[in-house]
Amino acid sequence: MLFRLAILLSVIVTPVAAHAGTPVSLSSDVFVERNEISADGKSRITLTEPKRIIPGDTLIFVVRYENASSQTARNFIVTNPMPAAVAFVDDAGERAEVSVNGGRSFGALADLQVPLSNGGFRPASADDVTHIRWKVESDLPAGKAGKFVYRGRVK
Amino acid sequence: MKTHIFPTRRSGGRLSSHALLLAGITFAVSASPALARGTLAGTSIENTATATFDGPSGPVEVPSNQVTVLVDELIDPVVGSNDAGDIVATPGATGVVHGFTLTNNGNGLEEFVLTAVHTNGGDDFDPTANQIVIDSNDNGVYDEGVDTIYVPGTNDPVLAPDASVVVFVLSDIPGTVTDGDRGEVSLVAESATGTGAPGTSFAGAGEGGGDAVLGTSGGTDNDNGFVVVSSATIALLKSATIADPFGGAEAVPGAIITYTLTANATGSGSVNGVVISDLIPTGTVYQPASLTLAGAALTDAASDDAGTFDGTGVVVNVGTMAGGASSVVTFQVKIAE
Repeated sequence: MLFRLAILLSVIVTPVAAHAGTPVSLSSDVFVERNEISADGKSRITLTEPKRIIPGDTLIFVVRYENASSQTARNFIVTNPMPAAVAFVDDAGERAEVSVNGGRSFGALADLQVPLSNGGFRPASADDVTHIRWKVESDLPAGKAGKFVYRGRVK
Repeated sequence: MKTHIFPTRRSGGRLSSHALLLAGITFAVSASPALARGTLAGTSIENTATATFDGPSGPVEVPSNQVTVLVDELIDPVVGSNDAGDIVATPGATGVVHGFTLTNNGNGLEEFVLTAVHTNGGDDFDPTANQIVIDSNDNGVYDEGVDTIYVPGTNDPVLAPDASVVVFVLSDIPGTVTDGDRGEVSLVAESATGTGAPGTSFAGAGEGGGDAVLGTSGGTDNDNGFVVVSSATIALLKSATIADPFGGAEAVPGAIITYTLTANATGSGSVNGVVISDLIPTGTVYQPASLTLAGAALTDAASDDAGTFDGTGVVVNVGTMAGGASSVVTFQVKIAE
């Protein structure tokens, strides 16, 4: 136990730096989703580069991962805090868990609760989400790649 | 800039160094976060994800690149009338006040140009423009000489997101309007950045360095108010009855003629300073102390009551008459003998 604690402390005091040239890579990208009404009255959802965004716009955040090494990355987890100006919109996939308390705990949104000032709790809503976390089975085998996507609304 | 560190739970209740995964997360927002009307223009939305896993030599943390999106300015003014209903005014009235509230529903500081429109269709008459006044002491009430007269291009309201200002539109009422006529007055606010179809954008014109985008308002909004004319008109009827000295009704010398003057006011308003007067007909002699108003006797002397006989005729100051009211004045003359 003492040993584990020591590891924890050392990790906190000197966070593990990203290894330069690490064979596992992560890239983040963002698109804006627009519902455009064409001249014939049909609506069409388009994803474009977020050159121009205003409150209410829907942003699609895409996180791509790849394990280009020859080693399995065990317990592979991707964590993405919600930017402060973005509200979580909907389910980010079956592998996603969300946090409504600043990342202290994660779970399915439907299972989470938010404390009230009167000591009670209310069911958490999408607006409460502070972090999203994804797991890939638990291990990411060598050579595997994929992406996670979540949708947010500009507050 | 904040850094969070997250130990994660691991199933099976077993803790190991592997379980002590770290997700070093960084994010930052370079401007104030959301307001009621949305994230402020110029705010940077920065997103970074972090992967953690256990490599051959221990926990590894891989941050993604940071993607940054600048929030552009949304322009959306809203104008609403503050009046509970029609403003009542009399024909010829000046400086009739309509109040409006202009609110910046956008997410950036924005300047608005104001215009009052008096020549609207669909109403009974056009009030004439007087002036636009800004509620500079912010009490919601027009204070003549205190609130600031609006001069386009000089003191255009500049509103922060969610901020609002009360604007008064002053109008004059033509003297020719009649009771019940309604006239429309509207206030138009236009973004100084521009107006157009919703979604129109102005590159680089947004607060905070981004673009400016017109919201559903198209960068302009307006609302209207009405003034309703309230006035009354007076109709005067005169009738006479004759009583001759012989008990009949013949107009013979010595007969007494009783004149009845009835003033009827009609309309939703009232008429001030109503005076009923009549000259004594030639060939007749006024009967002293015969003057009455509403059945009550009046003296002939001036200044002591509403009625006077001035030697040539009778004058009765009725005063204010509201629509629907009647005033009856009677006096008697004798046909000269």
